[in-house]
Amino acid sequence: MRLQLAALAAGAVAIGAPGPARADDRAEVSTSLFAEQRDGGKGGLTVIHPQADLGVDLGRFVTLDVSYAADAVSGATSVIYQADAVSSATRFSDTRHEGTLGLGFHGKRSQINFSATVGTERDYLSRQFGGSASIDLPGRNTTVALAYSHSFDLVCDKDNGMATPQEAKALTGADPCDKSGGVFGKDRPGVTLWRGLSIDTAQTTLTQNLSPTMNLQIALFGQIQEGFQSNPYRRVRIGQNSPQEHIPDTRDRWSLSARLNRFLPRLHSAVHFDARFYDDTWGVIAGDAELGYSQYIGKSLLLKVHARVYQQRAARFFKDAFYYETESTAGAYFTGDRELSPVRNAVFGGKLTLITLGGDHPVWGLFDKLQFNLKADVLMLDVLAADDLASNPVGVDKQFIYGNSLIDAVILQLGLTGNY
Amino acid sequence: MRAHLVAIGLASALAALSSGAGCGKQAVRAAEKEFLADQVMVFDDDPHEASSDDHIRTNREGAAGGHGAGGGGCGCN
Repeated sequence: MRLQLAALAAGAVAIGAPGPARADDRAEVSTSLFAEQRDGGKGGLTVIHPQADLGVDLGRFVTLDVSYAADAVSGATSVIYQADAVSSATRFSDTRHEGTLGLGFHGKRSQINFSATVGTERDYLSRQFGGSASIDLPGRNTTVALAYSHSFDLVCDKDNGMATPQEAKALTGADPCDKSGGVFGKDRPGVTLWRGLSIDTAQTTLTQNLSPTMNLQIALFGQIQEGFQSNPYRRVRIGQNSPQEHIPDTRDRWSLSARLNRFLPRLHSAVHFDARFYDDTWGVIAGDAELGYSQYIGKSLLLKVHARVYQQRAARFFKDAFYYETESTAGAYFTGDRELSPVRNAVFGGKLTLITLGGDHPVWGLFDKLQFNLKADVLMLDVLAADDLASNPVGVDKQFIYGNSLIDAVILQLGLTGNY
Repeated sequence: MRAHLVAIGLASALAALSSGAGCGKQAVRAAEKEFLADQVMVFDDDPHEASSDDHIRTNREGAAGGHGAGGGGCGCN
């Protein structure tokens, strides 16, 4: 469950609009490093995320894709959500593996793709099936795409029997999470059990050429999550007790986004704009906007810089830790999930791409085109108060262990893409 | 009921998008697509980058969706 949110995220993104049409075989490898500062004297948080994809054309109309991704996570986390979470910081590490097999069928103006993904880690199992279809409308200036996926996920949890939410104990790293066949959960009655979570995700996308130098994409996203969505490790301080986090079993989410590209021929560059609105049945409302600029430098270098801002409102049942601790009742649901708190962030960064075209002689004797990418971002994050700050003598600065410095995280990505 | 509403909403939106898209039929002729074909004009031209970005965002933010990225999974508690 250390990586549970990741799996939820996978459900959200894996069914996105079909990528750009691939006219040839390709291979891509990359590694991302995410390093975040954290208080509590237990060090920061580091996530290493390698990915590898191989796409092969099987004849003129069929494409086979195989991909693998992993997350190696180590660092500090807080066990108890309370006004002073820093004092409960501990170290942990975990690894998640994910494999995907995809099959695509391509016509002159349309394509349809199917995929199956399996993800596994110590305390979370994910099996996802999805499909997407797209068609270029007459004139080939409009592409309409529809995608859908269903995830059958399992979350390892403490077997709390008939205990009420206020009495439920949290899972610990020492609790066993048994599996059979690597991808099926196996309960250990009285100790741990696997709880189900289903995720249905749908997205429809319209991509439109507006002029010879401008195009637009609009995407409508919807998702229904049903099942166990709490972090089984997380506890919330309520008075003198610290029961396991308890949040609703159902969450319906939707978002609407728009992206715009404008090419600037005289400068051999392009500007990019991206905006999104998000809403869900837990009361989280969010918006973000991003501005980017791409500039070719000579024939082989491409530099892109970008800036993004994001802000969200808290879930209805989220409270600042002080209020959970001091009010006579926490309410039906209680959580210490920062992603359900009021939060805002900003990201600034750049990406440098070295492009090598093979011409008559393939690059490294194999590739028609080879690209090397280096990307670096900095993340600045600001946790806001969900409740009345004037009546909160301890404030909200220590209820999460995330650092309070100007730059909260650094993200680096190295990638190599070859078309052959 | 919620599922039905979401399904109806998505279907309605798709229909609206599809019907509205017809206005772009003559927007750009084939011979004028040199710049549109450039990799900087292709949405999600780098799937790994898009996947990695969504990966981080969905583990730092309560929102989700809206981008055509593939992949997923992260370990950010």
